[in-house]
Amino acid sequence: MKESIAAIQNAVIDMKDDDIKGLVQKCLDEGATPLEIIEQGLSKGLDVVGERFDAGDYYLADLIMAGEIVTEAMNLLKTRMNPKDIGRKGKVILATVQGDVHDIGKKIVGMILSASGYEIIDLGVDVSSEKVVEAVKKENIQLVGLSVLLTTMVHNLKEIGDMLAAAGLREKVKIAIGGACCSQHLANEMGVDAFGESAVAAVGIFDDFRMKLGLA
Amino acid sequence: MESMSPRERVIRTLEGKSVDRVPCFCAMMESRTADEILGKPPISTEFITTNPVSIFCLNKFPEVLTKPIARMNLVKTMHKRNVAQVKMGFDAIWALYDDSWRFPDAKTIAVTSGSIFNLIPDGFGDMTYMYRGPGIKTPEDFEAWPYWPDTDAQAHRVYKYFKKFNAEYGENTCIVGYGFFGGLQESMNWAFGIDKVPVWIKKHPDYVNRYLDIIEEIHVKTERAMLEAGVPIVMITDDSAYKTGPFLNPKMVEEVFGHRYRRIIRNVHDRGAKVIFHSCGDNTKLFDLFIGWGVDGLHAYENTSNVDIYNEKKIRGDKVTIIGGVGIDYLLTERSKDEEIVDKVKELIKKLGPGGRYMVAPVHSEDSLPAHKLQVMLDAVKKYGSYPISI
Repeated sequence: MKESIAAIQNAVIDMKDDDIKGLVQKCLDEGATPLEIIEQGLSKGLDVVGERFDAGDYYLADLIMAGEIVTEAMNLLKTRMNPKDIGRKGKVILATVQGDVHDIGKKIVGMILSASGYEIIDLGVDVSSEKVVEAVKKENIQLVGLSVLLTTMVHNLKEIGDMLAAAGLREKVKIAIGGACCSQHLANEMGVDAFGESAVAAVGIFDDFRMKLGLA
Repeated sequence: MESMSPRERVIRTLEGKSVDRVPCFCAMMESRTADEILGKPPISTEFITTNPVSIFCLNKFPEVLTKPIARMNLVKTMHKRNVAQVKMGFDAIWALYDDSWRFPDAKTIAVTSGSIFNLIPDGFGDMTYMYRGPGIKTPEDFEAWPYWPDTDAQAHRVYKYFKKFNAEYGENTCIVGYGFFGGLQESMNWAFGIDKVPVWIKKHPDYVNRYLDIIEEIHVKTERAMLEAGVPIVMITDDSAYKTGPFLNPKMVEEVFGHRYRRIIRNVHDRGAKVIFHSCGDNTKLFDLFIGWGVDGLHAYENTSNVDIYNEKKIRGDKVTIIGGVGIDYLLTERSKDEEIVDKVKELIKKLGPGGRYMVAPVHSEDSLPAHKLQVMLDAVKKYGSYPISI
């Protein structure tokens, strides 16, 4: 079984997508649980891909290819999983702010967070601040990731924080931002909790949020 | 040193020759800014495009009415943006003319190279475009794409526009002509979806090659048309990187695009003109490739990415002209103070001006920036940019 899980890990690392479903099925047939396959195979593979990306050996396209493989495997595994284990690290709302429809980075962040154990509620693009706050209330969410590319739309970041504060939720909710026009300077200016400069950084940021919120 | 014309100043800077002053390049002005400079038109583009009659007509008869309503507005908008850059007094302007876009309905732009954009109000009374998604998701979509460009017809329209524009404004500024929207990689990213391009390259290399043949051809023809119209510099845009680095492995960039860009750039150089190449993000690992392809100037050195413009000056500043440095995330927005812009311009000139081969510019196309802030930047360049630099 260990060899079969290692094969899954290597398929992610080497971006070999030819038979990922076959590899996953083999693991399941040998008695591995979906959670074992995810944690020891897919997630560890993605960790290595992330390390290589951080080291500059892998590029965004490699991250996407690895993410595609993980998504394909997850689609099969989800049908076999205990619903409690899906999104075991908690729910994250992702949204591109109002007036902006760029979402490639957000999609990649969602893919990586999902593989890392988060349940993603992707509100889509051009999402009003009201809709983000409503979703936070409705789903009792404490983790929010906002994407923005257009300089002219950055004010929405502050607006969401202000609306959460007005609803008495700001202390309970952590907000991370990412996107082409984002920087630590902008994060400070807009009063959000973190800025992620790459999709790989997202897992660390949200894991850190969980610690700070006492969810870990 | 005697005062130079903008054209001479800019071309000599691209050649690495001495000039009287650091030039200032305008990075494709958008409508809000242009309206502030030229005055708002009596009837807004937004009204013309979004009133119920236009919407009805465009939805009902998109092909018939593309030309009178949508394309006419598009052409007027592009021209307005180009003229406003000249009026502000920039040494070099990024002049766009690409009227090949189609309008399948009142809210949709089909870019001929295979992608779909939204036609939306820009919040200031004009219309703008925003990427919606790929137009080609499968090989079958590729075969069925109805909007491939008519390259000869487009080149002819580009020629006619730039011939007239150059005659009218060529003495006042250095025109950097941009006759086709999108470079090889970014067109492909838009057409296939940026998250699917790696998959296409791996699984459908034949389609990738066919696609790039089309884009290369239109580049060569529209660029030749601009040069024949008297434009001295060609702008090529190809966003190849993100905040932290290239989208594709540089080896793959060279393998897929290198030979094509060498041909495209040779086509320009053979006619005695120059090439400025724009790519967003941190291109540190790609700069040597771009320089190897033959580009004369590189824009944008985005401050919100990890690229270090000052280090680039040290290591590649003698091989290529660096263009950029002024952030549009904060400095050129309403949120900054004027003196912060002046300080940044002074810093850029002090560090990048010595030895030449530098132009001050916004780090991106100007995303609805207030004209006043651009003017502060431009005035600061004119005040502090004279050689020898004495800041």
